[in-house]
Amino acid sequence: MTTSHLTPTDPVATKPDKPHISITDGRTFTSFRDAISITGVWVLLLAATLIARPDFLSNQTLLAVTFTMSISGVLAVAQALIVISGGLLDLSLPVSLTLSAWATVSALNAGLPTVLAILAGLGAGACWGLLNGAIVVFGKLNPIIVTLATGFGGLAIMLILFKSAQIPSTSALRAYGLGRFLGLPNIFWPMVITIILFGLALTYTRWGRRLIAIGGNARAAKARGLNLRRIRLATFTGSGAVAGLAGVLFSAVNPSFTPASGTGFQLIVIGAVILAGISLSGGKGNLLVLLLSVGFLATIPTSIAFFGLPPAWSLVFQGALLIIAVGIDGARLKRTSR
Amino acid sequence: MTTLASPLFEDRPQSFRHRTLHSFNGPVGSITATLAVTLLVGLLWVGPEFFAPSNIQIVGVSVAIPLIVAVLASFALLAGVVDLSIGSMVGFGAVIFNQLVATGLNPWLVAAITIGVGVVVGLTNAFVIVYFGAEPLAVTLGMLTLLRGLSQAIVVSAPPTTLIDPLYNVTQGALLGFPTLLLIGIGITLVAAGFIGKTRVGRKVQAVGGDHRAAARAGISVTKVRVIALVISAVGASIGGILYVGQLGSASNILGTGLEFQIYAALMIGGYSITRGGVGNPLGGLLGLLVVAGITNILNIQFFDPDYLDLIVALILLAAVLVDRFRGGDEFE
Repeated sequence: MTTSHLTPTDPVATKPDKPHISITDGRTFTSFRDAISITGVWVLLLAATLIARPDFLSNQTLLAVTFTMSISGVLAVAQALIVISGGLLDLSLPVSLTLSAWATVSALNAGLPTVLAILAGLGAGACWGLLNGAIVVFGKLNPIIVTLATGFGGLAIMLILFKSAQIPSTSALRAYGLGRFLGLPNIFWPMVITIILFGLALTYTRWGRRLIAIGGNARAAKARGLNLRRIRLATFTGSGAVAGLAGVLFSAVNPSFTPASGTGFQLIVIGAVILAGISLSGGKGNLLVLLLSVGFLATIPTSIAFFGLPPAWSLVFQGALLIIAVGIDGARLKRTSR
Repeated sequence: MTTLASPLFEDRPQSFRHRTLHSFNGPVGSITATLAVTLLVGLLWVGPEFFAPSNIQIVGVSVAIPLIVAVLASFALLAGVVDLSIGSMVGFGAVIFNQLVATGLNPWLVAAITIGVGVVVGLTNAFVIVYFGAEPLAVTLGMLTLLRGLSQAIVVSAPPTTLIDPLYNVTQGALLGFPTLLLIGIGITLVAAGFIGKTRVGRKVQAVGGDHRAAARAGISVTKVRVIALVISAVGASIGGILYVGQLGSASNILGTGLEFQIYAALMIGGYSITRGGVGNPLGGLLGLLVVAGITNILNIQFFDPDYLDLIVALILLAAVLVDRFRGGDEFE
């Protein structure tokens, strides 16, 4: 982009304001294009399923899709915060999820009020994130390796501590998990609020801009006087708390769960983040596009079921989509860096 | 380490004592120490029967297939492209081999088909990673899911039993008191170690993993090296799948789940890095796998909850990368 006004053959380059506009427009245009392409593929999928099975268009489908979206959407925000801030990936998110769910359920079983139980879940997630962040920051180790190890070890500790956990069936949280609001599952709304709140915070608050800055270029951000360690720790803790919210919602909708119940979310969450154009190199991302990609990925299992294929095929499609999405993302990065 | 010495002095003949001391300084040295500690704990806690031939057979049989898969996957790590899909590829290869042999085809032909599938999977990974410049971690994570989904779509009920005598004898047999397959695995490890350390092609792989831009400027085809490394990794996994069918007699749709994490944890304990290429030695990988297998065996004999294994492996893994960092390894920020 900046090289274009160095070439004499380009007549546009003589105008001084042109490159500046193209840079700012380029960014919004990229997320706009991501949003359009995801919506396009999503509509194609919906249309194909509708043609094969007209009864696809029903309240039942809407409930199934929004229900699937809820927990993976909140987890995707947690993952997106890590990726945008340049923390590469958090592979221990399934552990955050079940750990927080376990904390919530244990608090409820101990007879604590619902508010305290929810706080226990959020706190457990935040503590787990803080632990990861502390190892990354003070050990100066790569987050992928650290969270691979803590994900492994954390799951092992939980399996030693408990085999399965049940939420009290008469609790208010359980009733909330079963309820609906405006025709959609209750747990759908906290997810939408989380995505909108964090999306706005990333763009409009100083905190969000700092997070994007250290993700884009950690060294430059440090040179500008940002405290890298503190922001990194805060990001991991905050992301853990968001995963804790996912854990609270998870405990509300599942009558019982095991420590390994969270592992199924790992891939759909990473896939949603990458499909939304949030590059693993950090520094860019739009959470509203993330909402679209979560919705699209959540539709796949329902469509597969309507096509009459066994559920294993949704894994095949999600895997293939992830490969295609990162391929396109890589080709785009390669072209712009040239 | 050698990075400090200028290339002029690198080939200077060193005394045996000097070389021995030097090798204990690196990752292979610390992993040898860890293995020694593991064996000592085994000897003290379990007693002399820890080294009984029957126990060595048990450990050897369990470690041999992961070793073969790990050594071939380590080429991709060395070239700077991590391949997370090996666990699913082991499972998918096993499922294909198992199902096709059950239809009555010649096992040799089926083995060739299975390896061919491995080549196709490796080429697909390589195509997206190398030609599109996509993140290896994300691409192979997608491949991991895709292959697992295919295995689950193919195997819906109980898998057929296919016992192939020569394959069973190789995978379960013993030679001079040692498991045959373990000896084969150690042989492959030694060949790979020699190939990487002593041949020009091996050094090219290391150069590509260390700094691909510098390697490209030095006239090495980064594309070719990485494509071949990814194909070797997938082929190794498909061979692992065939061997598992030989050992177990069938292939369920969850075979190989999580194997990639066990293998990469062992390789990282042995001095490899999944985030940076150009480092590591197959011998370190072998020792890393032996440490994990040794701990597993001790826990099994003492009737411990197998969950403790993952916890111990996680702690050793963190300690290993931390020690590597203090030694001058990659630092995050």
